[in-house]
Amino acid sequence: MTASNATATGHKKNSRFKLHLKIWRQKGKNEAGGLVDYDVNDVNPDMSFLEMIDVLNQDLIKKGEEPVAFDHDCREGICGSCAMVINGNAHGPDTGTTTCQLHMRRFNDGETVVVEPFRAKAFPVLKDLVVDRSAFDRITAAGGYVSVNTGSAPDANAIPISKTIADVAMDAAACIGCGACVAACRNGSAMLFVSAKVSQLSLLPQGKAEREERVSRMVWQMDEEDFGSCTNMGSCAGACPKEISLEHIARLNREYLRATVLKKDRQASDSGNG
Amino acid sequence: MNLDSKIPSGPIEDKWTRHQFESKLVNPANRRKFEVIVVGTGLAGASASAALAELGYRVKTLCTHDSPRRAHSIAAQGGINASKNYQNDGDSVYRLFYDTIKGGDFRAREANVHRLAENSVKIIDHCAALGVPFAREYGGTLANRSFGGAQVSRTFYARGQTGQQLLLGAYSSMMRQVDAGRVNLLPRREMLELVVIDGKARGVIARNIETGEFETHVADAVVLCTGGYGNVFYLSTNAKNCNVTAAWRCYVKGAGFGNPCFTQIHPTCIPQSGDHQSKLTLMSESLRNDGRVWVPKARGDKRPPHQIPLEERDYYLERIYPSFGNLAPRDIASRAAKLQCDDGRGVGETGLAVYLDFADAIKRDSASTIAQRYGNLFQMYDKITGEDPYKTPMRIYPAVHYTMGGLWVDYNLMSTIPGLHVLGEANFSDHGANRLGASALMQGLSDGYFIIPTTIGNYFGSTSLPKVDSSHDAFKQALDDAKSRTQKMLAVKGSQTVDDIHRRIGKIMWDNCGMARNEDSLTRALAEIPKVRESFWSDVRVPGEGVALNQELEKAGRVADFIDLAELMCRDALERKESCGGHFRTEYQTEDNEALRDDANFCHAAVWEFAGTGKAVRNTEPLAFENVKLATRSYK
Amino acid sequence: MSAAAGTLKYLTSSVGRKYIMAVTGLLWSGFVLSHMLGNLLIFVSAESYNRYAHALISNPLIYVAEAALVVTLALHAYNGISLWLRNQRTKPSQYAVAPTRVKGASLASKSMAYSGSIVLVFIILHLVTFKYGANYTAVYGGVEMRDLHRLVLEVFRVPAYVAWYFVCMVLVGVHLFHGFSSSFQTLGLNHPRYNGLLKAAGTFYGVVVAAGFIVQPLYVFFFAR
Repeated sequence: MTASNATATGHKKNSRFKLHLKIWRQKGKNEAGGLVDYDVNDVNPDMSFLEMIDVLNQDLIKKGEEPVAFDHDCREGICGSCAMVINGNAHGPDTGTTTCQLHMRRFNDGETVVVEPFRAKAFPVLKDLVVDRSAFDRITAAGGYVSVNTGSAPDANAIPISKTIADVAMDAAACIGCGACVAACRNGSAMLFVSAKVSQLSLLPQGKAEREERVSRMVWQMDEEDFGSCTNMGSCAGACPKEISLEHIARLNREYLRATVLKKDRQASDSGNG
Repeated sequence: MNLDSKIPSGPIEDKWTRHQFESKLVNPANRRKFEVIVVGTGLAGASASAALAELGYRVKTLCTHDSPRRAHSIAAQGGINASKNYQNDGDSVYRLFYDTIKGGDFRAREANVHRLAENSVKIIDHCAALGVPFAREYGGTLANRSFGGAQVSRTFYARGQTGQQLLLGAYSSMMRQVDAGRVNLLPRREMLELVVIDGKARGVIARNIETGEFETHVADAVVLCTGGYGNVFYLSTNAKNCNVTAAWRCYVKGAGFGNPCFTQIHPTCIPQSGDHQSKLTLMSESLRNDGRVWVPKARGDKRPPHQIPLEERDYYLERIYPSFGNLAPRDIASRAAKLQCDDGRGVGETGLAVYLDFADAIKRDSASTIAQRYGNLFQMYDKITGEDPYKTPMRIYPAVHYTMGGLWVDYNLMSTIPGLHVLGEANFSDHGANRLGASALMQGLSDGYFIIPTTIGNYFGSTSLPKVDSSHDAFKQALDDAKSRTQKMLAVKGSQTVDDIHRRIGKIMWDNCGMARNEDSLTRALAEIPKVRESFWSDVRVPGEGVALNQELEKAGRVADFIDLAELMCRDALERKESCGGHFRTEYQTEDNEALRDDANFCHAAVWEFAGTGKAVRNTEPLAFENVKLATRSYK
Repeated sequence: MSAAAGTLKYLTSSVGRKYIMAVTGLLWSGFVLSHMLGNLLIFVSAESYNRYAHALISNPLIYVAEAALVVTLALHAYNGISLWLRNQRTKPSQYAVAPTRVKGASLASKSMAYSGSIVLVFIILHLVTFKYGANYTAVYGGVEMRDLHRLVLEVFRVPAYVAWYFVCMVLVGVHLFHGFSSSFQTLGLNHPRYNGLLKAAGTFYGVVVAAGFIVQPLYVFFFAR
């Protein structure tokens, strides 16, 4: 737990310390980038990692340099914007933690910290630590939904759902779409992300009507976006800040197998009717 | 300023049904001829985009994030209210309506609030159908909990991530329409100007955040779903990118701004830890169901909490408000915490915190039960503070959380500029002077899924909209305005960073227009703010260039508008010479330090009209209470 | 679209190819186990070793079995290589620092393409050495049959061959160690209660098969001269 980490690194409340940073700087999408050295001399152990970068950026601006660009928003671990690889680990050294939830009490005085963007073919770097993750939206558009029009729903209690099933669906639905799974995967595979949505919706009765079409379209879109294939190594689940498990990938595999056998994708059923 | 609220006549229960019937319809085949721009993809924006596209309108949706799923609705934790009465505890549409009006301290429109309560039921049905994994009982039915200020259990939830699940539901239904080609989704776009032609909203100017290029977007109507402006305080629970710019540009173009001074301070946030603090983190109010709030009885008692014996603790909420106890409404709980801390009995290093203690609940229900209910919140607290709330009480302090004020809208959710509709937190409509817990999600989805589809049809059906394109002078003018403002900021090349100035304006607002305000503080703030504006435009440093991804430039534009908004908020707070809900004027309080309303003079919405930078005209929309009797709120 | 073309579309996706990998991999897992068990007859006698081999190759079904093995191996190798090539493309650059927190990514799982490729080379050479190797004959109970026992003894007298065989069999074990349990995950068979068991079964399988194959050359080299 974090509490024990805090004592392990032995920071006292409000004791400032120094950090040596190597941050990936890249001016634009198609330009070359590289690691640049920075020193931050006034790190407070209670700062979050992003607040430490804020301090660096204020410094850079005052010195007339360009600040480090990075995506961030809610800073409480739920929006999925922040995306840094810290010393080789997506979202840093702690499990179940986003970059914004990582606090500086986790680091030691004088430590060197290497900060890089999430890397994958499907996530091109736009600037510094900002990457383009729009491929995830296109995968969702390919089927990550239940096709129900507003106003046509039955009473919410009309379809009972066992608590056990609802809980597993919620485990999967907790995905924040940050892309750490892709960044940590040696193949740049998006299987954990895709499986989280497929799993959630295939478990719930509301999502069963179009389950075959959903899984096949999402998998095909995933392939089209140049994500790699899954080799069941499990780095994704290890990096996931919401600790989404590999069992959801297995469920996706099951769903896709079902779809392969039943072949109920939209094209097939359209031509069947035609 | 014409402030016709267009509230339908008839008994309150029938107003919405009647209005739906009386609203003009657009023939299904004609709907594709209308293009709607939706700005923002939170609950309101995503649900509106989906619902309008389902009807057949052509929708163009803009959001500032890299993905629409990241809008700040995602961070709402606790839950969403609905008057389902699944718990058989006496809930009803009328009770939810009544609670919301009363909770808002009688500063919201009855008709709007009743409609909200009616729609609440349909929201839960629709969200369940979309695959939102709500919490369930073992029998498979939906679970409920009671939530801040309600005596019935009407709050539906999905662990501590209700906002996330509802937003992902709305996002998924919008993405389905993207797939169907009916929604044209444009992420990483920031709206910088509203384009008004012949008095009607006909488009927007946006900046492509990725490339820095300016774009013009033409439409038949604009739906603004851009959230609240709590970040004017610099430190708030809002996400870092939440801003007022889109709404403020509309205000400058002539939209009335309703009750800007109504801000909600949330009682249960993690206290600030130092000057580096970039934002505050909220701990869901649901924690107050099981946590007990206390401070030491003695001033300046610095002993660790477990060394303070029971008889030396003051469980002040339970003491002062015996019937609501720890569940007292947000404004009351926040102010009570501030009073304790101002009195020198605050805890922690700064003395700006009170304890929220789970020891009794853990003793009663076991640690694993508490972990099931709040596990993720406890973990979040642990990560931020390095303290384990299973062992030591949480420290909490109030923080700015929500803004009830916003652009004025009529019953159709249309602003004073025809064609400009405003949904969700961005409008001023449903929460009066204080919002009840678990009601923001409800309002965002009610506006987006169930109201705008009817009322936008009524607008199209009753208005003639001649064809315009981006070559129109109004578009050119708006584009020039947006570009030149950006150029101006880049050209200053001063010495202060945008954050420096944002912190300054935030501190002025928190000190003078925060949890408690008075004439002195507000006058002081109004003298300070123009100086901040002056120093922004003469001394800000925005590095980099305009035609590129430039996050400092984005922030600069937002802070410039926050400064102007801050002035309007103070002016509004100064003019409202009463206390109500989140607006607490120290001059106007009862003997027990409760808010003292002045219904004779202030039973109205204050709607401000832009009259040049730093100038504004105050208009009013009187509020009539025909169903709920005006009364002093009492939670004792 | 026709049913066949439809199925092909499913099976050529990244997930579909993995099914092919898993199914063909499991078939081969079964084959190598039975092959290994047959090899162990060397500890019984030259006669039983040769009779067993003769029973297999004189059965007309051997052609079907051989064809199935060739096709499944080809599918396995083809899909393995094409997925590996794809994954080289989808992950363009590595991080400056190696991760310290990666869970579950064992060396075996990371090196499947390499262990697989070497094993493929091994299989081909193995066929050249034995199936198409010197055709000695022996007669048991009036039936003339191939004397594979003699060939084995000859081959495994060469230290270099024993070493090569040893290395390859370790790689087969490593390949099975990840591949066996991974196949079940790919086919969707994953349950928190049984995952540990599957993983253990994979390890056991890999070790048993590798060890079973390795004892034969070691026995021959050291004891059967």
